[in-house]
Amino acid sequence: MKAKRNNDKSDVLQGTLILLVLRTLEALGPLHGYGIARRIEQISGELLQLNQGTLYPALLRMEQEKWIASKWGASESNRRAKFYSLTAAGRRQLAKSTGEWQRMSSTIERFLGPAPDGLREEPS
Amino acid sequence: MSWHSVITSRLRALFVRDRLERELDDEVRFHLAMQADDNIRRGMDPVAAAHAALGSFGGRDVMKETYRSQRAFHLIETMAQDLRYALRAMRKNPGFTAVAVVSLALGIGANTVSFTVADALFLKPLPVSNPGSVLTVGSTTDVDRGGLAASYREYVDIRDRTRAFDGLAATTVMSAAITTRPDALPAVRAGALVSGNFFAVLGVEAALGRTFRPDEDQVPGRDSVVMLGHDFWTRQFGADPEIVGRAVFLNGLEFTVIGVVEKPFTSLFTLFTVDFYAPLMMWPRLSADDRVRPLDDRALRSVTIKGRLTPGVTIAQAQAELSAMAADFERAYPESSRHRTLAVRTELQDRMSYQPNLVTMLVMFSLLATTVLIVACVNVAGLLTSRASVRAREIALRLSIGAGRGRVIRQLFTENLVLACVGCVCGLGVGYGGVALFRLIQMPTDPPTPVPFALDGRAAAVAVAAALLSVVLFGLVPAVGSARPDLSAAMKATDAGSFGRRRQWGRTVLVGGQVAASVVLLVVALFVHLGFEQRLATGPGFRTEHLLTMTFDTSLLRYSDARAQRFFEQVVAQAHRVPGVKSATLSSFMLMTGGPQEFFAVAPEGFQFPEGQDSVSLSGSSVDEHYFETMGIGLLKGRGFRATDTADTPRVAIVNEQFARDYWPGQDPIGKRFRLDTASGPWAEIVGVVETSKYRHIMEPPTKFLYLPYRQRPVRMMSLLVESFGDPASLTPALREVVRSLDGSQPVFNVRTMELVYELRSTSQMNMIRAFIAVMGTMGLTLSIVGLYGLIAFAVGRRTREIGVRMAIGAERLDVLRMVLREGMVLALAGLGIGLLVSFGAARALGAVFPGGPSGDGRFDVAAFPIVAAAVMAVTLLATYVPARRASRVNPTEALRCD
Repeated sequence: MKAKRNNDKSDVLQGTLILLVLRTLEALGPLHGYGIARRIEQISGELLQLNQGTLYPALLRMEQEKWIASKWGASESNRRAKFYSLTAAGRRQLAKSTGEWQRMSSTIERFLGPAPDGLREEPS
Repeated sequence: MSWHSVITSRLRALFVRDRLERELDDEVRFHLAMQADDNIRRGMDPVAAAHAALGSFGGRDVMKETYRSQRAFHLIETMAQDLRYALRAMRKNPGFTAVAVVSLALGIGANTVSFTVADALFLKPLPVSNPGSVLTVGSTTDVDRGGLAASYREYVDIRDRTRAFDGLAATTVMSAAITTRPDALPAVRAGALVSGNFFAVLGVEAALGRTFRPDEDQVPGRDSVVMLGHDFWTRQFGADPEIVGRAVFLNGLEFTVIGVVEKPFTSLFTLFTVDFYAPLMMWPRLSADDRVRPLDDRALRSVTIKGRLTPGVTIAQAQAELSAMAADFERAYPESSRHRTLAVRTELQDRMSYQPNLVTMLVMFSLLATTVLIVACVNVAGLLTSRASVRAREIALRLSIGAGRGRVIRQLFTENLVLACVGCVCGLGVGYGGVALFRLIQMPTDPPTPVPFALDGRAAAVAVAAALLSVVLFGLVPAVGSARPDLSAAMKATDAGSFGRRRQWGRTVLVGGQVAASVVLLVVALFVHLGFEQRLATGPGFRTEHLLTMTFDTSLLRYSDARAQRFFEQVVAQAHRVPGVKSATLSSFMLMTGGPQEFFAVAPEGFQFPEGQDSVSLSGSSVDEHYFETMGIGLLKGRGFRATDTADTPRVAIVNEQFARDYWPGQDPIGKRFRLDTASGPWAEIVGVVETSKYRHIMEPPTKFLYLPYRQRPVRMMSLLVESFGDPASLTPALREVVRSLDGSQPVFNVRTMELVYELRSTSQMNMIRAFIAVMGTMGLTLSIVGLYGLIAFAVGRRTREIGVRMAIGAERLDVLRMVLREGMVLALAGLGIGLLVSFGAARALGAVFPGGPSGDGRFDVAAFPIVAAAVMAVTLLATYVPARRASRVNPTEALRCD
């Protein structure tokens, strides 16, 4: 599978996936696994190639960390599905990692963008 | 998240694997179905759609593997993390850890010991299949609340008529001389005669050979077959696999060994191992006494009946059936069944009915041990609470960086669990030591009675349960409290003193309660101690020094009455002639041995019995004319027995003072008469009154006792008591020689000095019980001192600044000292007051164990109270003084600078 993958699409980083799931659940409310996977793919403009199977271990881990809770219910197509929802701890975690992510990406952006004066080495 | 849901989710993860696995499958299937639907909506055909869905999902097995390991890893990882953290925390506070572990170890150990003793004596289930359903049936009276027993005829009637029981088995205990050759010197062994269905009803199998067939218990005296106890077979026959079919001799009769009883079954009794089993039908032939007709005599009640209920029948229904039968018996056999009822009891009820005093004692032990455990838990809870406020900042920090409340509670809970585990292990050590102490108890019996106290799996389970209970008791409140701090307050506060005042209050109450509990423990301990001291100082009321005893059972050799009497006369006469012997006497009752005792039905002349009773059953002894002199029991009135009190002269009796006082208060008992054996039995005239001594136990209340001249009441088994000029034990060979010269095959047993019997039965047992109770009292006091000290020291530590301020504005050191002392002493005094009040009740309850109070004469003794009050005051003062002194040494400048 991996070999066939389109090179333009990036793999989802492990830590990022959790952030994406938390954000998805914050935005859409309780959602089943398939819904989360679809949403992530849609939002990223299908640019992020989510290996859908990896979602489930991640969901389990988040549940163990008490960031999300799960409950069985009926889906829109009236199938039995497990719905995940954000917990208070999850909200805190989302706020925390959003902040971290933003700090991180702005730092990296500063590195990658046109070098500001302050970063250029002083001519000796 | 509460701790129990943490535990249930863990257990779920461990035990509900299958369901979790199925749920994951369901989830994946749902995912794939949704994806396939979407694919179809985009125009794929169903087969391709499903295939594409699988493709975009990725490797399912790999995913499941990751999922599973994530699940397992998380569990182990967080537990390991908690555990590591807990161990680090324990190492960091060795003082706290040591005090907590020692407290718990003492509490858990005390409970383990008291359980082990109670288990060995009362609680251990019968070593049979499905022991819980075995019930005891037997005859009793409304007045006499002793154990249940029945005559053989009653057993047969009940067995044949019952519908409520699914099988009733009967057994009676019997000692017999057992040998492998008819001419060998026999050894006396404990055995049981059993009904043919005995092993079938109990569900006990043969380890070798077979058990009895029903037809082997139908014709009196026909089937001389015997089964051996596993222990006996191993000890005596070296576990010889060829034993079945061999012959052994019981009281000289040849029996064929048909099997060996399987190992776990030693007997129906907790303290007693049976070496052989023979059919009940062999009873008349085994008992040498021709006058006794055990299979026919309805009044001879020495059979124990055990059985199981028919399925669907309740105990109440069985009791109703038995009551109806008892009414029929009373009508049909007024002579033997008058005023008697039949009862059914559970095994525990049955065991307790034999030794109500021991039950009271054990209940007291357990209450004391539980008190120690509670005091210990309060201590640890106190330590944890004070640590909790120290740790409040650490916990607040962890909460603020995102740890869930559940996680923090679980962490604290794990710490407590580790603490309890270590406490439990050390507690088992303490328990082991305690049980070893109790194992020193010996019964002066021949064959020796093993004391079955052992720290086994059941005791370990109790220790673990106590540990878990203590976690709940000491751990939960502080743990929940710590995880709910006011975050900002805790983070901000440089002085934690303003934090958690209310919890402090709770701790004050706990420490006060602790002091109260230790006061109760001490009063009880001292009460018991004084009681024992007093009893031991008074002595048993008979000579114990320079006295040697030995027992003969002439029925083992099938002596006739006349021959037995001649033998006993000769033994005493010749013993008198042995050099070094001062005097010698005979008695059928062995003082203080705890062995079987003879009861006499007595109906004193003119005494009005309550309705439903026409005689009273009393202990007594058949003795010879030298008895009171040799035993040093004072004759108060009348005369002693004479050699001329024989079968041809009028029946005479001597009673003790208690007897005379109870039946003829204020009158001269000499010349009074009572009927013997039944309400219409022969008259016996009282010719003398002797001092009341102790008979079975040093702690017994004054007991009525009567003596009969042995020539008027033939007995087969007597003990020779020899008073010596020098060391009594040195007379043993000469006395054995006397017996051998009279009859070489006469077994001699229970050869002991009276001093040893008294020591084993009184002094050492009393000392052990006293030690146990004293240790608990000391534990309680020590723990509460630690608690009090901890509380005051902690309060002082937190108020260092406040004290500094007070001193800076002019308070003297003495004022500070007084202030802190006052705080501690108010607490101690409150605890003391409550404790004394509770002790008052406890001391009264102890009257049940030591009837008449420690002084033995019914006065309520308050000697223990001032002693305990003074002791507790002294140590609590000390426990408060140390931190108070430290507080008064506070240097104001440093105190104000320190935070």
